[in-house]
Amino acid sequence: MEFWIIGNKAVLLVYVIFVSYSVVRGASPWEILAYLSYLCVNMAIPILRKQRRLQLLGSALSAVLVVVFAFRLNTVFILLLPVNLYEIVLMSGGRNRFALLLGLVPLFLIPEDESLIYLLAASLSLLFYYSLRVHTEKLEKIGGERETLRLDLQHLKQSLSINKEYIRQSQYTSKLEERNRLSQQIHDEVGHAMAGALIQMEASRRLFGTNPDKAAELLGNAITISKEGLERIRLTLKDMKPRSEELGIHRLRLFADELSANHSVNATVTHEGDLDLVTPLQWKIIHENATEAVTNSLKYGEATAIEFEIRVLNRMIQSVIADNGKGTEKIVKGLGIVGMEERAASAGGTVIVDGTKGFRVTTLLPFQKGG
Amino acid sequence: MNVLEIRNLTKTFGDFIAVDNMNLSVNEGEIFGFLGANGAGKSTTINMISSLLRITKGEIKLLGKDIVKDNKFTKMNIGIVPQDLAIYEEMTAYENVSFFAGLYGLRGALLKERTEEALEFVGLGDKRKALPKSFSGGMKRRLNIACAIAHHPKLIIMDEPTVGIDPQSRNYILNSVKKLNQMGCSVIYTSHYMEEVEEICTRIAIVDHGKIIAEGTKEQLKSIITDTKETWIGVKNAERLDLNALKQISGVNSVRLEEQTVKIVSKGEINNLNGVIQLLIRDQVEISSVEEQAPNLETVFLTLTGRNLRD
Repeated sequence: MEFWIIGNKAVLLVYVIFVSYSVVRGASPWEILAYLSYLCVNMAIPILRKQRRLQLLGSALSAVLVVVFAFRLNTVFILLLPVNLYEIVLMSGGRNRFALLLGLVPLFLIPEDESLIYLLAASLSLLFYYSLRVHTEKLEKIGGERETLRLDLQHLKQSLSINKEYIRQSQYTSKLEERNRLSQQIHDEVGHAMAGALIQMEASRRLFGTNPDKAAELLGNAITISKEGLERIRLTLKDMKPRSEELGIHRLRLFADELSANHSVNATVTHEGDLDLVTPLQWKIIHENATEAVTNSLKYGEATAIEFEIRVLNRMIQSVIADNGKGTEKIVKGLGIVGMEERAASAGGTVIVDGTKGFRVTTLLPFQKGG
Repeated sequence: MNVLEIRNLTKTFGDFIAVDNMNLSVNEGEIFGFLGANGAGKSTTINMISSLLRITKGEIKLLGKDIVKDNKFTKMNIGIVPQDLAIYEEMTAYENVSFFAGLYGLRGALLKERTEEALEFVGLGDKRKALPKSFSGGMKRRLNIACAIAHHPKLIIMDEPTVGIDPQSRNYILNSVKKLNQMGCSVIYTSHYMEEVEEICTRIAIVDHGKIIAEGTKEQLKSIITDTKETWIGVKNAERLDLNALKQISGVNSVRLEEQTVKIVSKGEINNLNGVIQLLIRDQVEISSVEEQAPNLETVFLTLTGRNLRD
């Protein structure tokens, strides 16, 4: 907003200089001194940005100078007065009506032939002042709104993550139920089969001396039952075995396949290193950041290919989501990026967003080896 | 004690975030390296430390004092070698150094003594009467350093001091950085020349997009990527090789033969090259080349950010 005030002053000053030149044909040294001192004082005002009181003092000094010059040298100087008056009102946070009145006061103190042009200058400056004020207030209001929105969003995110936790819990419970069902199944089917085989074998031992043929037949039965039982154990266990190390990358692959199917992009997943070292929490962060990055790529990037890359290095897990879209020279940090950063930070990691060759979001998560 | 402590430092230019919530501390007696591509935010950070730029958010403490509140203290204790030369071409070398030292409040005999000392230190003692106009790029850089050290600062910040100079001057500058450090100065050194940072810095931060993505000694940084190194040995008569005996050598993780090259993966901190070579000589294997494939900082940077330092 300073620039507008400076501009306002500069235009008026140029006009004043022009008028005094065209009337007198050349300025007196005193007038040049007046221009320079006006310039000095008014340039000092924006420089002293941090000290409100000094700024006010400067503006007041400039107003006094202008009045003095107007009486002593050239009445046209009075044109510079309203800007300073409005500046004072603006800085001290005074009322609008007050500003209007203050600007009109000098009208009664100057000769009549100057008063028209003064009125013009004063009203133009007033216009400037009003628009500055309106815009500053608007900016403040928007800033406040943004802050409340941000807070709201944070709350929502929080409750969302609580919900997610609940879902995870219930998934876990259902897994437990599934496990129970499986152990029941083992007991019912395999247990009974084994008991059957045992009975056959016992009988065969008794008959071994007296009736070897019968004994051999019973033993054959027992072997068949045992084989079947073993096969059943294998099948059941294969169904039940948790493949947690595959869950994370599987989920990412599924996500990529869905992307390729539902959108016009070609999504690929590659990985390198020992995925066993990635904890479920880290998978969660990787997956959520991937979702976020992809949303961004689809929305703004105009990408036709998205590449997911997970690399487990010696002390860091690196997850890269890169697209071949147009990217951006200048990255504006919106809520999406902040969210990714927060998630990564919760595990001690960082996020790098690069827009120079398409969008490229790198999540780096450190981990302790052997711990 | 920490010479410099940076907490949650942020600098924005409009929408653009040049430095993003940076946390960092430099210990006394360290040569701390800032490694990053052009535009990563190194110079912005340094300009904030030297109070050339206003801090948007966060704080910087020098020797425990806030640099904004104790601005004079900061200026007296920091010496800055800026990226763009800050010397007057129309003044002699002596006058340049004495002018800058005078700005720090040195007067009279002390001023003379320190000016002489600084000029001697950078090897320009015999050029004191000459105008920088007649200097080579490297000499100008050295004069630039002399101007920054005459007032005996606790912390010296060097922002790319070796850009565009000849190899001799570069070595001279690197050596003087080491010498300054031995004399008790802490140094912050920025560069996008990985080899320099690797050679002189005791601790290094890798900066990208205004953030520190990794920090530590060069060994720590390399171990982010891997703990192992590969030794490639080119051989003429590979059939004489005893691969199993090679695997028995301490520190060796695995050995494989690819055409005429034996590739030995071993633990990074162990030096077992002697054992390997002795074994090869015993078996009368003819060695044609030996090459060590250890990760360097460039690889670390490339792997973590996916970009080259000089992109």
